Amino acid sequence: MKRLVHAELFKLRTTNAWWLFALAILASTVTMLVVNGINAYSLLQPFNSFVNLHSHGHAGSIPADFLAHLRQEWTAGHDGIGQAAMLYTSGQLIGVLLVCLLGIVMVTSEFYQQTATFTFLQTPRRSAVIRGKLVAALLVAGLAWLVSTVISVAAGAAFLHSQGYSTGLGHWAVDRAILLNLAAYLLWTLFGIGFGCLVRHQLAATVSATVLYLIGATAAATVFELLNTYVLNQNWVLAAQVVVPPVASTVMVSATQAFEQSPPAWVGAVVLLVWSLVAIRLGDRRLQRHDIT
Amino acid sequence: MTIHAQASERRHTAPGGPDGQSPIVVRGLTKQYGELTAVDDLTFTVTPGRVTGFLGPNGAGKTTTLRMLLGLVAPTSGTATIGDRLYADLPEPTRVVGAVLEASSAHRGRTGRNHLRAACIATGLEISRADATLEMVGLMAAADRPFKGYSLGMRQRLGIASAMLGDPDVLILDEPANGLDPEGIRWMRTLLQGLASEGRTVLVSSHLLSEMQALADEVVIVAAGRLARQGSIDDIIAPLSIGAPVQVSTPQPERLAAALRSAGATVTIPNGTALRVLGIEESLIGDLAFSVGVPVHRLYTETPDLEDAFLTLTHAEAAIR
Ligand SMILES: Nc1ncnc2c1ncn2[C@@H]1O[C@H](COP(=O)(O)OP(=O)(O)OP(=O)(O)O)[C@@H](O)[C@H]1O
Ligand SMILES: [Mg+2]
Repeated sequence: MKRLVHAELFKLRTTNAWWLFALAILASTVTMLVVNGINAYSLLQPFNSFVNLHSHGHAGSIPADFLAHLRQEWTAGHDGIGQAAMLYTSGQLIGVLLVCLLGIVMVTSEFYQQTATFTFLQTPRRSAVIRGKLVAALLVAGLAWLVSTVISVAAGAAFLHSQGYSTGLGHWAVDRAILLNLAAYLLWTLFGIGFGCLVRHQLAATVSATVLYLIGATAAATVFELLNTYVLNQNWVLAAQVVVPPVASTVMVSATQAFEQSPPAWVGAVVLLVWSLVAIRLGDRRLQRHDIT
Repeated sequence: MTIHAQASERRHTAPGGPDGQSPIVVRGLTKQYGELTAVDDLTFTVTPGRVTGFLGPNGAGKTTTLRMLLGLVAPTSGTATIGDRLYADLPEPTRVVGAVLEASSAHRGRTGRNHLRAACIATGLEISRADATLEMVGLMAAADRPFKGYSLGMRQRLGIASAMLGDPDVLILDEPANGLDPEGIRWMRTLLQGLASEGRTVLVSSHLLSEMQALADEVVIVAAGRLARQGSIDDIIAPLSIGAPVQVSTPQPERLAAALRSAGATVTIPNGTALRVLGIEESLIGDLAFSVGVPVHRLYTETPDLEDAFLTLTHAEAAIR
């Protein structure tokens, strides 16, 4: 088993997948850090400055309902601890998609690059190969989380300090966000490996997973809203959108409720874990039966 | 230490008996792809210590058979074992069996050396085996270039290197001569014959019949998924030699032809000085020419070769399915 994990890590290191992945993790972390930083900067201002920033100095002339909207936004976001949690998990939005794609590519490239024959000749027990990939991918995902978190915490803490706020480190809400972020990285990696085993076509798998991740939440919100309005007007119908993986992920990592009827965070974690395990289980079974030609 | 020295050392512990002999046994092997029976109740044995050629027309089921033997394709029925075990049940398969299959490749962006090293790591072999086998197949100069830049012959050599990593008792090669240059083909022939002479089992599929005739001791011929013939090349060719045509060169073709015809032979005269004689043996033709006083400049029997045997045996089923 150790051999297989080691071999998978070696295989990653000896193609350009390695630095492409590292570059993407760094670039997305830095980009989202800047976006979140700008956001935090304005929200952490006193309300008057916040309004000024949003109305480009014409605070006196803005309509009352817009002002009310700004007030609501400011009240929700004017919180050093909340902003710390947000800043320190900046890498998440794109990062979890990247580790998911990494998992997918680690499996599908065996078919795309026609190396499956070679790999399964060395290790005829195909489940062992998948387990090796799984552990290797989890290690890499953990490393990606670590790098992203170190950058985000360093930059974010310096920023908060400069704004006169505490860094929030050691505060349970902040530490919890950082740890849940790790959970998200790991669960999406599992999901990626399972998805790759199920959909062995590299392009099909990466594109469909990306689409699922990016528009899954919006699509789910729309569909479940319609269901709720026209089919079954119950609150649990709206809560049920947590079954969609990206929604589950959001529910899991949200410090507050992800949406109005949102179930508690652990439900999101369980849903994501169940999806990942089901995908791996089914993918593994499919792979056992597949003729490598 | 040379590879061969290692091999004889390890031979004691290899599976399939104390001498490490691992015959390949295929029994009633069948593979159904929908309506098509790619391999149809195939039974044959490959004995250690000799090179066995695996022949058959395109689509005969050779690659499918080898893939079933290596646990990559699940048989519909029947078994294929190596030293009495299924490939998937071998604890360290790459130390027992080395295989090169068609449509097997390396990652396009990975170097040949790293391709082999990854295999060493996965199977617990010394990393240095990568360089040793690269050296052996003459690929050292290209070792650090990415696989996508390799020529067909270089890819084939890398495949052979990967098969040799674990210094296996059994070699299974699917059209290894494909893409090799003449020097490479000769090198491979020497290599495989050398390995067989050490007591290893060598099974090689190929279309190059003249090459096979030079390389193999024994052949298994399949057509349309079924066994057409198994045996030594001599045994397979011998029946075809009976009644083979004899060519005679003589300055007096008409006189000799007349004499041969009266002795019961069928004679044609393709050109001025040559005769093609059927139904009478070389030595008798010589005697007859002597007795009628006709000089003979050249006399030889058109011995059938493996190609003739192959075409005769597979003729009825040669069409691609
Ligand atoms: N995965 C597959 N799905 C469907 N049919 C297949 C598959 N693999 C092989 N076949 C069919 O099985 C038959 C045997 O194919 P195979 O590749 O074993 O032949 P072969 O003897 O290796 O031929 P060649 O000499 O051309 O390499 C062919 O008719 C082929 O079309
Ligand atoms: Mg073939």
